[in-house]
Amino acid sequence: MPRLILDDPDQTLEMLRDSVATLAERVDGAEVFRSRRARDAELDRDLWSEMATAGWLGLLLPESMGGSELGAGELTVLAEAFGRALITEPFAALAVLPGRILANIGGAAAGEIATGIADGSRIVPFLWQDTRGARAPMTLSAEGTLSGQVDLVTAAYAATDYLVLCKQDGELALVHLPARSERFSLSSRPGLDAAMIGQVTAKGVSVDAGSILARGATLDAALSDAIEMTRLALAAELAGVGAKALEETVAYTKERVQFGKPIASFQVIQHRLVDMWGDAEFACAAVTNAVEMMRDATPEEAGQSVLAAKARAGDSAVTITRRAIHLHGAMGFTDECNIGLYNKRAITLNAALGQAEELRLEFLARETAA
Amino acid sequence: MTQERDWNALSDDEFRVIFREWVDANCPEHLRFMRKQRPTFDEVAEWYHALNDKGWLSPVWPVEYGGMGLDAGKHIVYVEEWARLGCPRIPDHGIGLTGPLLIEHGTEAQKAEFLPKILTGEHVWCQGYSEPGAGSDLASLRTQAVRDGDDFIINGQKIWTTLAHCANWILLLVRTTNSDKRQHGITVILVELSSPGVLVRPIKNLREEEDFCEVFFENVRVPAKNVVGDVDAGWALAKTVLGHERIFLGAPSRPEYALTRLEILAKDRGAFEDAAFRSRFAKLRLDLYDLGSAFERFAKVLREGGTLGADVSVLKIFCSELYQRITEEMLTVAGEEARFYDDLMVGDRGIDAMNLYLDSRAPAIFGGSNEIQRTILAKAVLGLPSG
Repeated sequence: MPRLILDDPDQTLEMLRDSVATLAERVDGAEVFRSRRARDAELDRDLWSEMATAGWLGLLLPESMGGSELGAGELTVLAEAFGRALITEPFAALAVLPGRILANIGGAAAGEIATGIADGSRIVPFLWQDTRGARAPMTLSAEGTLSGQVDLVTAAYAATDYLVLCKQDGELALVHLPARSERFSLSSRPGLDAAMIGQVTAKGVSVDAGSILARGATLDAALSDAIEMTRLALAAELAGVGAKALEETVAYTKERVQFGKPIASFQVIQHRLVDMWGDAEFACAAVTNAVEMMRDATPEEAGQSVLAAKARAGDSAVTITRRAIHLHGAMGFTDECNIGLYNKRAITLNAALGQAEELRLEFLARETAA
Repeated sequence: MTQERDWNALSDDEFRVIFREWVDANCPEHLRFMRKQRPTFDEVAEWYHALNDKGWLSPVWPVEYGGMGLDAGKHIVYVEEWARLGCPRIPDHGIGLTGPLLIEHGTEAQKAEFLPKILTGEHVWCQGYSEPGAGSDLASLRTQAVRDGDDFIINGQKIWTTLAHCANWILLLVRTTNSDKRQHGITVILVELSSPGVLVRPIKNLREEEDFCEVFFENVRVPAKNVVGDVDAGWALAKTVLGHERIFLGAPSRPEYALTRLEILAKDRGAFEDAAFRSRFAKLRLDLYDLGSAFERFAKVLREGGTLGADVSVLKIFCSELYQRITEEMLTVAGEEARFYDDLMVGDRGIDAMNLYLDSRAPAIFGGSNEIQRTILAKAVLGLPSG
């Protein structure tokens, strides 16, 4: 069955897979999903702490920031395993993205925040998009006050700190602020994958010069790299979601008997399952390729491979899980059946940091410009 | 026989450079990027002989038989560079089918008789598998061979026999025993096409080329020493011969070439100004890119000394369907001009849109239609039950 096939000379990757599998034996991802939804929660604090203890939240961070200093291979295998186990905590949004930005910027202030992300003591969402995904909607005035509204925020209420991408005089700046301020007002809406999505409005929050972590070219570079790494993590998780949904569907169609036979014996069902399997194989191959390109190729080639991987894995996972619902028949349309949760998770991950078509057009634009 | 060096001792990259330089210098310009997918032996004879003189005609045969003895990784390089440089396909049933079958299962006498003549081009082979009633369901074949003393007498008909009219030998699957288990009782036998009672009739294809044929057998007498392997046990032989070469049914070179043609045409016709076209083109471009990634996943298995499973045919399905989607898009971009049979002009350069569109119908059918492939994958990879 489809999975990432990466060189694993010292068995690190296999150990990571095993450790997620061990956790998944104790923690039922679907159950956590439903209980989080019942509580209108943003994340499951217990599970998040376990992920911190396991060292997963600081996987990519340098040791000086409390991390394990591992790379793209480990990251993708871990994210794939989360996808397979339906562990739907916001790993990409709360660990990979802010952690990577801070690691890229470096320095004592960034290091302290990143260390908190790695050990689970800090929840640090990145505030950088409006409702439609446009970047840096908040502005920092010349007097040093932050105003404006961001949306699509993970853990807006649970946050201990905010990392804000804002504009000052038309230039991007990255600001670090404690989340507790009377001048922030919060609201949230339910997300499709059972995590509340926050909106944060800043009404003249004062920012001292020491809270500005980066600007200009340094920030641009830190951000592009972090987005690329987060897209890779999302792609791997999507590949895991798709592959597992396929396996569930194969198992179900072998058991479900109609007209005296398992429905998996019907050729029309078989061919659809084979196409779903092909999608899952291509998704895994695309993510594998991106990991290898990050190791072996130029930054430009690696960037293209990540765009391709996120596009392929997103398309594949959404399509596989949608077809999986259909192949489960009426059962697939119930909330009780887990297969629908894979589809909800796939849509959510696919929506983050560019859906397939947008990424493909970006690939083409970069290729044409090159 | 010897090779000038042990190719497998080189890295893939070193081999690639050496192979590319010689091929680029020696493959005649007028044979590059031919419209015809399957030129006849005579059309490409000079290239065939040049390769043999160099010792590079047969990449995979062991060196002792005059091959290069390449491992699978080097063979992939060979095929990739061949495609990149636009070298023509040579009539390769001798190199790719009869040769490996004899090397694996033939008698010493058969090897000594046939292998050298494949390399010199004296024998040009074709593959006699499909019949009017046995296409996807190959095991239902009925062309019969009956023992008569030291000979077999063959009666029946083959069809879709590629380049039979330009070949002088045919590797034939015949029925020697009627059995309840249809795979039993099939035999592989080598037949000279000049034998009395053989009639070859070319069939014109959609591109108005005669590249496949009907072959009729009426009381054709063939010596029993031409049987390969055991009588009645030919099915397994016929199915195993492909081995790692199944990966090449999914090699991206056809869709890659078609996409470059589409891009030239689309630029000239202003299609990239249309956002809808850009989206469709980007999808095709990324499908091609991802096919490369998927191809690499299987190639890596081979390079590391592994063997391919049934799952490799996912490449063939995806590749052939992508090739079709690209050529269909060419017709869309052609607009009113899609009605022309000859080339579409971009400046003074011809873009063979219709040629490629028609050509792209075939790969989804040959080598096991894509529906047959899906049915095999359902059982072999997903373990789904039979109906």
